[in-house]
Amino acid sequence: MVKDRNSFILRLLSTLFVILAINFFLPRMMPGDPFSTTSADEVGEEIIVMTEEQRLYYLNYYGLDRPLHEQFLGYMKNLMKGDLGRSIYYKMPVRDVIMLHLPWTVLIVVGATIISTISGVVLGTLSAKNRKKGSDRLMMMGMISFAEIPSFLLGLILLLVFSVHLRLFPLAGAVTPFADYNGPAEQAWDILYHASLPIVTLSLSQLTGVYLLTRNTLITVTTKDYIRTARAKGLGENTVWIRHALRNALLPVVTRTGFMIGIMMGGVVLVESVFSYPGIGMTLRSAVVGRDYPLIQGILLVIAVSILICNLLVDKIYGKLDPRVVI
Amino acid sequence: MSLLKINDLKCHYLTDIDTVKAVDGISFEIEDGEILGIVGESGSGKTTVALGIMGLLPENTAISGEILYRDELISSLPESGMDRFRWKDIAIVFQNSLEVLNPVMKVGVQVTEPMIKHLDLSPYKARSKCADLFRTVGLDPKWVDSYPHQLSGGMRQRVLLAMALSCDPKLLILDEVTSALDAFTRKEIRDLLVDLQKKNGYTMLMISHDITFVSSVASRIAVMYSGRVVETGPVRDILVSPRHPYTRGLVHSTPDIFVYKDLWGIPGDVPAGNEFKGCPFSPRCTQKIDICSKASPVLMPVGGGREIACHRGGIAGLLEAKNLNFSYRLPDGEYLQAVDNVSLEVREGEVLAIVGQTGSGKSTLAHILANVIRPESGEVLFMDGNVSGGNYGNRFNGIQIVFQDPFSSTSNRFTVLDAVKEPLYINKIGSNGDRLQMVKNALELVRLPNTDNFLQKYCGELSGGQRQRVALARAMVMEPKLLIADEITSALDVSTSANVLRLLKGLQNRRGFAMIYISHDLSLTLKIADRIAVMDSGKIVETGNSHDVMLSPSDEYTKRLVGSRIGLCCHTH
Ligand SMILES: Nc1ncnc2c1ncn2[C@@H]1O[C@H](COP(=O)(O)OP(=O)(O)OP(=O)(O)O)[C@@H](O)[C@H]1O
Ligand code: SF4
Ligand SMILES: [Mg+2]
Repeated sequence: MVKDRNSFILRLLSTLFVILAINFFLPRMMPGDPFSTTSADEVGEEIIVMTEEQRLYYLNYYGLDRPLHEQFLGYMKNLMKGDLGRSIYYKMPVRDVIMLHLPWTVLIVVGATIISTISGVVLGTLSAKNRKKGSDRLMMMGMISFAEIPSFLLGLILLLVFSVHLRLFPLAGAVTPFADYNGPAEQAWDILYHASLPIVTLSLSQLTGVYLLTRNTLITVTTKDYIRTARAKGLGENTVWIRHALRNALLPVVTRTGFMIGIMMGGVVLVESVFSYPGIGMTLRSAVVGRDYPLIQGILLVIAVSILICNLLVDKIYGKLDPRVVI
Repeated sequence: MSLLKINDLKCHYLTDIDTVKAVDGISFEIEDGEILGIVGESGSGKTTVALGIMGLLPENTAISGEILYRDELISSLPESGMDRFRWKDIAIVFQNSLEVLNPVMKVGVQVTEPMIKHLDLSPYKARSKCADLFRTVGLDPKWVDSYPHQLSGGMRQRVLLAMALSCDPKLLILDEVTSALDAFTRKEIRDLLVDLQKKNGYTMLMISHDITFVSSVASRIAVMYSGRVVETGPVRDILVSPRHPYTRGLVHSTPDIFVYKDLWGIPGDVPAGNEFKGCPFSPRCTQKIDICSKASPVLMPVGGGREIACHRGGIAGLLEAKNLNFSYRLPDGEYLQAVDNVSLEVREGEVLAIVGQTGSGKSTLAHILANVIRPESGEVLFMDGNVSGGNYGNRFNGIQIVFQDPFSSTSNRFTVLDAVKEPLYINKIGSNGDRLQMVKNALELVRLPNTDNFLQKYCGELSGGQRQRVALARAMVMEPKLLIADEITSALDVSTSANVLRLLKGLQNRRGFAMIYISHDLSLTLKIADRIAVMDSGKIVETGNSHDVMLSPSDEYTKRLVGSRIGLCCHTH
């Protein structure tokens, strides 16, 4: 056990180190630097063009003119102390910038995970129960062709239809600006109202995967001997399906949820941009445009760590659900 | 009123490739309180019958026929209607496999589940009843909270049994409950079942390929072959005198019944094509006639509570001898009664051994049966015709005899080819080319080389074992229905005789001819014989199944014969 635990920690640490290194070197391999950007991200933003003298001054100020390996060592040292560095663009600690935006991302990713999992499982079960009938075929074809649409395109369509034309949902943001709430309920409602379309977009992008997995696993599970045993006991269709079949079929779905969160963390960058939703995805995008190295590093680190945590959690939950797994 | 009645049940699995007629028109009844056993080889459709009764066959099954439970037609009920009967009236112990229990549910929960549903017990009550059930089936109640993978196969089998008993069913179906268990556990389960049946009067349908196990519990047996019932009857009768060729094969290849005999499975396979119309056993049957491959026989009562499905009414007689007498005149003018009022019967495909001391008249009897000498009185009927009249020795598919002494049956001056060909030549069978081929085939059968070089060898140049094989080939070339082997191994050394014997039994098993095997060596005889006739001074003093004769000889002479053997043998009785 002890040996297992040690090797596990060792593996985790080496994974983290590789991630850190990639986070550090990748942004610096992009052309340009924080002080030579010429393109503006948003229309109307004034373009500050620095003189070469100013640029060198700032590079020196942020220590970006030192050799790479020295920079990397410094970064690692600070990280040990819990210091993620200062954002060049926001002119404040990277940690504060992340804490400001991360909750929004967590909100939509968690929301999308819950919604896509539940609806995927329900639809998958319905489909499996009706397999070989028309409704199953129809649903399956619909789902598969639907999965071909990229999530940002889907987001754009939703935005155009529901926000621009029908005006049912807001065009941008996570809350109504300068709103004055009468109590937390109203605030919560406003937050939900703004988060709806991003959550829906993210959920839809994951739905087909969950649906197909549930359907196919269920179909396999229902041919198992223990399902026949449950039937023989005269327990009734619902008990057989839910207590015996679904319980077994959910095992792979749980595993998939771990990966799904990882995929969504990537997808969130595009979806947040489409809805101008102020999560870390959008922040990352502007940080990349502005070559804000410390911020890029910080956000990528947060994403990587949260994916690692999700997978760990999934392993734990799986162990609880499947008695055959020994952890 | 019977508890369960099945009428012409057919269950055909429709797969993408073909149709598997797993159950093809079977009918039977189970009386209240009775234990009916269904036996048959793997794949004969036993489990399918069980699933059919429970209404659990997969969707791709075409089902027809009727299943009546207490005169109520349950075969056409929808799922929900069937649930009324499941577990409370009819419960099943499934064929054990790792996945027959839900892997993610505690076994206790799986046992209590039906009690909560059908008996309206509270979970607490059900749990305590579950502990009782565990004790009943000999399982420590501490296991209720474990998962199936934490139990051994035997323990899982007990859980399955406890589960089946949980709602006190009227009819208990047991599918191969013991086949995965060791002998000790098997006996425990058997005793448990017998006990349960006595106490609670369960009606049981016991399915297994293990005929010994079934017959130790059941009162009646139905033998299934390829989706059909070929024979039914009381257990004892079927074991002692199986009437269908398949049942005989099944009984004879069961080690617990034939303790001494080498195991020889039933050769051949179940017919695969689903267009096949005839008797399903015909590809393996040694006594098939024309109609067998055209129409399938139906189950017919033959008296004594037995039913048989066979166009020939079961195992047919091949040779019948009635009141044979023969005496030699000795030089002093006295007569020696070598064969004294002997009657015996040889049935299709069986091996009858005639044992007795030297001089007891065995060879004389053999010569009479083979129509080499004529009896003074009495008659021998071969396939219902008189041997002497029909001259069955001299024709294809007749009687052939191989003698004790290989040197007398094959002349030294004959080549192998001539020796084997001679009977064909004498009886004018086949053209010259045909004959050569037939000789070669026969030599191959007896595992001799059939090269030209060997064919041209003189018999005098061969070893004793080779020469006996040539004699055997000479008999086989006539494709006999009955082979009489008279002490054919006595002139050979131990290892050669073992080889010849194995060869002979192998041939008999594959070709399906009947055999009269004459010997004074009881140990060897037991290895190949189905029945034994014991001969003493010209009389047959005892006949019976070889194991019966061995284990419980009734005649004094037989006892001596058996007793004289014990010293050499490791068995103690
Ligand atoms: N679901 C199925 N689909 C197609 N064919 C099947 C199916 N189940 C069984 N069969 C076939 O039906 C035949 C009878 O099977 P069944 O399980 O009833 O045999 P069995 O007598 O119980 O054998 P065993 O002693 O091995 O348990 C076999 O040839 C088998 O391959
Ligand atoms: S004799 Fe014919 S009907 Fe009888 S078992 Fe043999 S093949 Fe079947
Ligand atoms: Mg079976």
